[in-house]
Amino acid sequence: MSDRTAVIVGGNRTPFAKIGGPYAHASSRDLLIAAIDGLVARFGLAGETVGEVAAGAVLRHTRDFNLTREAVLGSALAPETPAVDLAQACATGFETVTYVANKIRAGQVDVGIAGGVDSASDAPMAANEGLRRALLRLNAARTLQDRLLALTALRPGHVVPEAPVVREPRTGLSMGEHQAVTTKAWRITREAQDELAAASHHNLAATWASGFFDDLVTAYLGLATDGLLRADTSTQKLAKLPPVFGDGPEATMTAGNSTALTDGAAVVLVAEEGYARRRNWPVLARIVDVEVAAVDFVSGAEGLLMAPAYAVPKLLDRQGLGLGDLTYVEIHEAFAATVLSILAAWSDDEFCRTRLGREGAYGTVDRDRLNVTGSSLATGHPFAATGARIAATLAKLLHRSGPGSRGLLSICAAGGQGVAAVLEGM
Amino acid sequence: MDVVLPRLPQAGGLIAGAVLTTPRRPPPTAGLPGRRVVVHGVRHEPARLAAYGRVCGFALRDEVPATWLHVLSFPLQTYLMAERDFPFRLAGLVHVSNVIEQYRPVRVTEPVDIATAATGLAPHRRGVVFDLVGEVRVGPELVWRGTSTYLARGASLAVEAPEVPPTERPAPVPPTARWRLPADLGRRYAAVSGDINPIHLSAVTARPFGFRRPIVHGMWTYARVLSSLDGRLPHAFRADMRFLKPIPLPATVSFGEIPGFHVAVVNADQQPYLTGSVAAL
Repeated sequence: MSDRTAVIVGGNRTPFAKIGGPYAHASSRDLLIAAIDGLVARFGLAGETVGEVAAGAVLRHTRDFNLTREAVLGSALAPETPAVDLAQACATGFETVTYVANKIRAGQVDVGIAGGVDSASDAPMAANEGLRRALLRLNAARTLQDRLLALTALRPGHVVPEAPVVREPRTGLSMGEHQAVTTKAWRITREAQDELAAASHHNLAATWASGFFDDLVTAYLGLATDGLLRADTSTQKLAKLPPVFGDGPEATMTAGNSTALTDGAAVVLVAEEGYARRRNWPVLARIVDVEVAAVDFVSGAEGLLMAPAYAVPKLLDRQGLGLGDLTYVEIHEAFAATVLSILAAWSDDEFCRTRLGREGAYGTVDRDRLNVTGSSLATGHPFAATGARIAATLAKLLHRSGPGSRGLLSICAAGGQGVAAVLEGM
Repeated sequence: MDVVLPRLPQAGGLIAGAVLTTPRRPPPTAGLPGRRVVVHGVRHEPARLAAYGRVCGFALRDEVPATWLHVLSFPLQTYLMAERDFPFRLAGLVHVSNVIEQYRPVRVTEPVDIATAATGLAPHRRGVVFDLVGEVRVGPELVWRGTSTYLARGASLAVEAPEVPPTERPAPVPPTARWRLPADLGRRYAAVSGDINPIHLSAVTARPFGFRRPIVHGMWTYARVLSSLDGRLPHAFRADMRFLKPIPLPATVSFGEIPGFHVAVVNADQQPYLTGSVAAL
């Protein structure tokens, strides 16, 4: 084990905005620059070379082949700052934290920036696959005859571009449709989902009101707080919404208890502990351990978004911890039902015996410790930004709780994957 | 004397009117009109600002590009020049240089007051030059001043142009980037800036004014230079750019900078289209 400790020093994000809202005209690169520059301003990094900047986006234009490096070049960081794009669907924003933390522990860098961005408003439209193939052939054609032949492959339908969809390539089902299957299997009620959604909004509203986010968020394009937040929502109001995922009278998932398409960017500053202390930076929390799990959702053996149910027990076992040892638990609210399905699984004897190989139920999470500052239902979920949002928030919570307090975060991701991490307050 | 307009005028209509009509104008010796045109509380439209950024290469930031404030003040320039007592015809004026002083960045959320006046009438060896000076304030605070110097070719003030001592040729700036300017760039910049001067739009509309091909707006080139330095410029700066010759579209040109923000945009033979510098204030 390395004697170098990777710590979270702080974070910065744009307020998150609903698709087509205040950031409708901002690109992913614009948003990432805004998040980085806010962090740079907060920690006096202007003109400095940082060890590495790691970030990513789920929705990517081909022009964004070097998104993070381009954002660094547009930022106030020194142009000598290296950058890398990483992608692990919705886990991207934390996988980047893991990457930077591991480089710090390995002694390769002393400080790095990790995060992610997504713009649902500025999503790429792909060329129709038929058009793309025809144009590739045209491009490769050497003779006039070949070129004409390539052109004959064009069809009127080819001019219709393809909008991106959050759909699993192997099942053809959207995330919501996948979750609806899991929701039904775990008999998660509409009431329980709406209750969790309302709590998310109320917790986020209270956290904004307390000033907690003052050093975690920088206003962008006139938006100073999260645009999706509905402080005045209630279970009664949420109960009125029609279901959008699932079939028939058992459909329980609505726009109110599912995350909305969101624009935003988030980054965290990660440093080696001694380096951070020498610079008089706050040392909020250390990154203790990380586990990524994946499940077989294609055959239907497990739910698409259930990987955190596997990653967390493995991670906590490795650290000699149980759910009861955690001061705070952050489970990303892809859907209210995702959180509730994971919690239900951990309380289920059979699941824990047969799937997790335990003797019985894994345990429960005290709701007073779960997503206490609100999570993605209220904040919004710009896919690759969510991990960095949660990491900075949890680090600050743990720092307030004091040294030794432990927090868990987990994020489900497309492709049946999930990341879980333990942070410890410093 | 201030003329306060309720909102920014539409530059396009003023330009069209000025190009299509030839009202009798006073001679240059009558001097420039003394009034200042003022508009209060101009807001930055995010969609238009974003479109401007895409055409000129700026990221969409909370702080607006310095050249964006020129775009906002441009309709007031046009308004002044379209007035009957303005001594020069708008069509045919040559934008020879432009100085922007940004005293602090303007945030996208800050409404601004814009004032523009004509000044600095002077003889020039090729005609008469004058300045249109725009000032941008946030509340009482002067945050930006832009000085656009125009040349009215062939005009005369009936006095000899002063001997201009040959300026020291700036050190050659080695190219660091290649810019590909598409044929429709003039139309694209016109759409985001409101400057629909026909010399920029197409070969057909440029020809009556002596250009075989449309030429790109000088302020596009200026903006592209500043966007190349984006993220590295000091908060308060003075940018001084000279437009030495027009860039016919389409074109591939080279941009170069040397330390100290000395910049040039040159053609394949290293002949400069634009030279200039940016310095901290």
